[in-house]
Amino acid sequence: MKTTAFREIKGTFGRFAAILSIIMLGVGFFSGTNLTTPAMLETIGGFLNEHQFYDYRLVSTVGWDDEDIMAIASEDEVRYVEGANSADVLFTDSKDFDSDDTYEFVIKLHSMPGMINGLEVLNGRLPKNPGECVADKSSGLKVGDKIYVSPDNEDGTKDMLKFTELRVVGLVYSSLYIHWERGSTSLGNGSVRGFAYVMSEDFDRDFYSDIYVRFDQDLDLYSDEYKDFMEERKDLWKLLADEQAEVRYERLLADGRKKIDDGKKELEQAREDGQKKLDDAKKQLDDAKEQLDDAKEQLDDAKKEINDNSGKLKDAKKELDDGEKQLDNAKKELDNAKSRITAGEATLDASKTQLDNAQTQLDVGKEQLDAAGTRLDSSKQQLDDAAKQLADGEQKLNEGEQKIADAEKQIADGEKQIKDGEAEIEKNEKLIADSEKKLDDAEQQYVAKVYESLNRVLWMLNDEQKKKLLDRASTKPEEVVSTIMDYLTAEQQLQLRQGKQQIDDGKKEIEESKKKLADGKKEVEENKKLIAEKKEELNAAKAEYQKGLDQYNEGLAQYQKAIEEYSAGLSKYSDGVTQYNNGKQEYDAGVKQYNEGKALYEEKKQQFDEGKQQYEDGKKALEDGKKQYREGKQQYEEGLKKYEDGLKEYEDGKKELEEKLADAEKEIADAEKKLADIDEPEGYLLDRSTNVGYACFENDSAIVQQVASVFPVFFVLVAALVCMTTMSRMVEEQRTQIGMFKALGYSEKSIMGKFMFYSGAAATIGCIIGYIAGTLTFPAIIWMTYKLMYLPLDIDYVFNPWLALLSLAASLICSVGMTWISCRHELEETAAQLMRPKAPKAGKRVLLERIPFIWKHMKFLHKVSVRNIFRYKRRLFMMIVGISGCTALLLTGFGINDSVKGFGDVQFDEILIADADMRYKPENGKLPSDLKEKFEKHTEGYALARAMSWNLIYGEDDREKEMDVYAPENYETMTDFFLFNTKEGKALPAPKKGEAIVSYSLQERYGVNVGDRIVLRDDKLREMRLTVTGVFNNYLYNYIFISPETLESKFGEKVEYNFAFLNFNEGENEEEASADITSCPSVQYFNLFSVVRTRMRDTMSSLNYVVLLIIICAAGLAFVVIYNLTNINITERLREIATIKVLGFFRRETSAYVLRENIALTAMGIVVGLGLGILLHSFVMAHIRVDMVTFKARILPMSYVYSIVLTFVFNFIVNIFMEIKLDRINMAESLKSVD
Amino acid sequence: MSFVEFKNVKKIYRTGEIEIQALSNVNFAIEKGEFCVIVGASGAGKTTILNILGGMDTLTSGSVLLDGREISHFNKKQLTAFRRYDVGFVFQFYNLVQNLTALENVELAAQICREPLDAETVLRQVGLGDRMMNFPAQLSGGEQQRVAIARALAKNPKLLLCDEPTGALDYNTGKAVLKLLQDTCRSSGMTVVVITHNSALAAMADRIITVKSGTVENMRINNNIVNVEDIEW
Repeated sequence: MKTTAFREIKGTFGRFAAILSIIMLGVGFFSGTNLTTPAMLETIGGFLNEHQFYDYRLVSTVGWDDEDIMAIASEDEVRYVEGANSADVLFTDSKDFDSDDTYEFVIKLHSMPGMINGLEVLNGRLPKNPGECVADKSSGLKVGDKIYVSPDNEDGTKDMLKFTELRVVGLVYSSLYIHWERGSTSLGNGSVRGFAYVMSEDFDRDFYSDIYVRFDQDLDLYSDEYKDFMEERKDLWKLLADEQAEVRYERLLADGRKKIDDGKKELEQAREDGQKKLDDAKKQLDDAKEQLDDAKEQLDDAKKEINDNSGKLKDAKKELDDGEKQLDNAKKELDNAKSRITAGEATLDASKTQLDNAQTQLDVGKEQLDAAGTRLDSSKQQLDDAAKQLADGEQKLNEGEQKIADAEKQIADGEKQIKDGEAEIEKNEKLIADSEKKLDDAEQQYVAKVYESLNRVLWMLNDEQKKKLLDRASTKPEEVVSTIMDYLTAEQQLQLRQGKQQIDDGKKEIEESKKKLADGKKEVEENKKLIAEKKEELNAAKAEYQKGLDQYNEGLAQYQKAIEEYSAGLSKYSDGVTQYNNGKQEYDAGVKQYNEGKALYEEKKQQFDEGKQQYEDGKKALEDGKKQYREGKQQYEEGLKKYEDGLKEYEDGKKELEEKLADAEKEIADAEKKLADIDEPEGYLLDRSTNVGYACFENDSAIVQQVASVFPVFFVLVAALVCMTTMSRMVEEQRTQIGMFKALGYSEKSIMGKFMFYSGAAATIGCIIGYIAGTLTFPAIIWMTYKLMYLPLDIDYVFNPWLALLSLAASLICSVGMTWISCRHELEETAAQLMRPKAPKAGKRVLLERIPFIWKHMKFLHKVSVRNIFRYKRRLFMMIVGISGCTALLLTGFGINDSVKGFGDVQFDEILIADADMRYKPENGKLPSDLKEKFEKHTEGYALARAMSWNLIYGEDDREKEMDVYAPENYETMTDFFLFNTKEGKALPAPKKGEAIVSYSLQERYGVNVGDRIVLRDDKLREMRLTVTGVFNNYLYNYIFISPETLESKFGEKVEYNFAFLNFNEGENEEEASADITSCPSVQYFNLFSVVRTRMRDTMSSLNYVVLLIIICAAGLAFVVIYNLTNINITERLREIATIKVLGFFRRETSAYVLRENIALTAMGIVVGLGLGILLHSFVMAHIRVDMVTFKARILPMSYVYSIVLTFVFNFIVNIFMEIKLDRINMAESLKSVD
Repeated sequence: MSFVEFKNVKKIYRTGEIEIQALSNVNFAIEKGEFCVIVGASGAGKTTILNILGGMDTLTSGSVLLDGREISHFNKKQLTAFRRYDVGFVFQFYNLVQNLTALENVELAAQICREPLDAETVLRQVGLGDRMMNFPAQLSGGEQQRVAIARALAKNPKLLLCDEPTGALDYNTGKAVLKLLQDTCRSSGMTVVVITHNSALAAMADRIITVKSGTVENMRINNNIVNVEDIEW
């Protein structure tokens, strides 16, 4: 049986996966949503408990000291008590305070904690020495940075700090600052850059500003146990805080009085001391006067002496004058001598110059002479060369003449030879002519002989031959001869042959002679040519000879001219030498003259210098005498001045002493006044909720749980349905097999066991995966957004075993339980019945068919679909549940987004249109004048009101809830800042005496309606009963507005306004303006709405992720449901689909045939889902309880569109898969048999 | 050219690594208007032939011609169109759509054809004039098979293919159904191919094709056609 079970899982994995995934989805969503808030609380709570976050913070108007701490530490259950100091301080990032680049910022400075409100060091270390600090991780400061206390700080702040600069040694998270917000300050531009911790010794204070208390408990954050625990101790500790403040006050007073007494004593002492000192001083003065008198006497003596000396000085001066006169005379003489010497010197200089010039001239002359000598030498050389060249030329000319004569002779010989040759030629020509003549004769003879021979043979020839021969006999006797030869006799033949021989010999002879003649002629021509050449050569040689002759003559002329020049140069040179020698002689004489003049001058100069020295010495002696006289006079004057100073000092000392005594007396009087001014002390007990981070986190972390707690119901329902349809389909498919097992004798239990194992396994695996995935992913994803607003700690995952068991139980009920229900029904049948195929479900008419009007107008295939939809009721139901669930989830998700995103905008755009609100301390019951000035400067308007805290008494057991109650000075003005409109948009009239208008949250949460009488009670237990005349629209905080007359008539006192709404001027920098306003001492708090708005938006943006998760889960749900159902639908109707395919339905028609039903069902599901979604949305919105916030529950039209479109998109995606599956159906296979 | 022609048709089924040769070298031809019976034992390949002929299955090699068109080369869409306009099927297990009445079942087929016959007329023809509004579950087997035949006929196909039309019917009902088929063939001139393992039925056919082990063992023209009523088996 088990084997079949495993094989079954393998074989029908799609079905197995369907159960698995729907269970996984359900459990994942369930566990995820349920564990997200615990995981977040665990993360932050773990951090806060680890660092011993305070339970109480005690503050008093008089501060605290160690005695207070001791007293509180002795209380029961107290684990730790610590005093702490803090201050807002302006720092700069540079020492150069005046520079424009220096950036100024506010740091919240704390003293280092001990055990309570511990720090977590991220970088660096804790401060060990004064002047070191650890800084806020998110401040942007780095380890090693230095920050400097700005001179812009108030004196009080500067006095409180022992340092002027701090070095950052570490970066930390602080348990006091788990939220990103660092609060605001009245310093700088009003925003705080971060916090820093310094050694407590760095605070120059003798008291603590806060005492932190941690009880001996480690209860969970925000848990009811913790709230109860704190509630029990609240009253006691409130009292304790007051008492301790009182004690501290008494002690402070006692200390003050003691200090004043001490001061008075000190004053007495000082007075005594002062008197004594005065007496001493007087005595000293008297002594001084005596001394002065003595000095005066001495001075007089000195004067007398000076006068005496003056006479002596006069004498000395006369002597000096005489000396000077003598010196002048001597000088005059010297001057004369000097001028003479100067003249001599000038003469000497002139002659020296002349000498130098002469020397130079001499040098130049010598040089010129040398050059001339050299030139003369070279000229001579040239002349010699030229003479040699001329001799050579002459010789060459003679040779040329000889050559010409030889040539002329050769020519004459040649010409003679030619004449001889010509004579021989003539002779030869004559010879040839003879021979020719002989030859002609021989030929004539030969022809005659031929004719003769011819005639002898003619008879032997025919006529034609005869004629031919006769014709040719004269012209071509040879031919004739050869023709007739044979007819001739031997003799005739010989004659003919001889004749012929003769002719040939003659011819040969003539040829030879002619040849000889030609040779002779040629020789003569050659000789003639040779002669012509020779003649030409001779002419050229003659020309050359003529040219050489010319050159020679020219060279000769030049040579003669050069010789002349050379002679002239030589005589000039000789003159120069003579001149030079004369100059040199002259120069030597000049030098001698100069040296003599110079020696004379030296001598004269020495005489003059000696005379001058004598004169200088005389003059110096005169000066010294004068100086001695002046010094004597000065000494006398100084003595006189010293005496006068002494006199003045005495007067000053006397005056100072008197002033000091007066100051001391005034100081004592001030101290006495201050002590009297100390206010009655007030002790405040502040719990954790006053810490911004702690308070915000409670609301923020709760949102997720509240939003998500509703959804799992859906998933359980859908999971159960999916399991049921899937399993019953499975049982149906295996009907025959069940019958067989039954027939084989298996018990019902073991048969059922298989199916239960199947679904149980799927559910268990799904549950485990889902639980783990949900536990890990949901908190992680949602924490991602929270990390931005809170400490970015790593999330601590929470594993809740009870939740795990619950999930498993629910999954098993859904799966195994549903399997049991579907199985039991089948197993009741007998084996035989089971073995037979189940009769197909009979077709049925639907209700719609009874309305012929509609039915008849429907397309045939649509009719089929309609009938099919209603045929499978379970599928119809499940599909509608699944799809409507999906749509409802989507709509809710988008709706939450709409509602949450909207409320801040609506609140600050349409209701509370002021820019800021603030509270101040009235001055004489009025708006303080400095504040009024700032208002006029920064705002375009403001509305005043009396703001109070009253407790609203509501519910049957008279529960109390603190409310902000405002009595506006002028209701009409107030409506410029706060629109009191009903939900329907109608403006509310002003509340009259005894009437109140309340914000919508009171109606929604505390059941306050128009016409009701509400009871308000303040902390002095005074009560007000008011009639509610209107409820106005409002989303943030609770408000009750009443008329000031109500207050006046009730309590009989004039209303002092202490609250204002403001609207800044157009274009005003809100932060700077608010910082300026906050700097007024009367301002108690100041709230910039733009900041509130941003904070709200941040908080609410965390919901975006929740919405995203919802959409993802809705998609998952839709996929599982549609896929599973369509899948079942297709397998169930396999034969039907195969049939229509066989009938020839095209692919598109086939899928339309099946999926049209899907689309119709989806549409129906969406319609139901939209309705469900609206309900679910309002349910969820009602359950999202963020303190002080009332959401504007709304779903925007676009959200409806998105939900519908998305659902269809999911459906469409599944349909694509199904279309593929339909296409794969094998017709032949499916139709083969009954399965 | 014959109305139906099988030329060297081969069909191999592959399941995993195992190859099964369902048809090997099948050759036969059927003339237009003939009543043809394909006989053979179980597993001989009759149904495979019918599936291929009806465009429900493809062949591995060879060619099939119907009325001059080579359907062995058709793609999926063409095959669907071929089934839609040219072929009528009758199955052993009727395969009626359970959620539709007899008339609607016929209309389902008729409304996708080019020249359908009137559904009611056809139903009357097959003798179901008074059961038209009944759902299949309310009809007997023979009546259901007659609805199936009516559904096939209403499409006015060129070829009517019947796969063991009497397989799930009793003797007399079976006879009646066969008679209906024979009459239809005779009166409308429609080509009818009936597949059966019952060789006795061969006697009523114009043409008898005997199939054995995936190939045509014998094909002959029946010269001695017997009326259905006279056949005993």
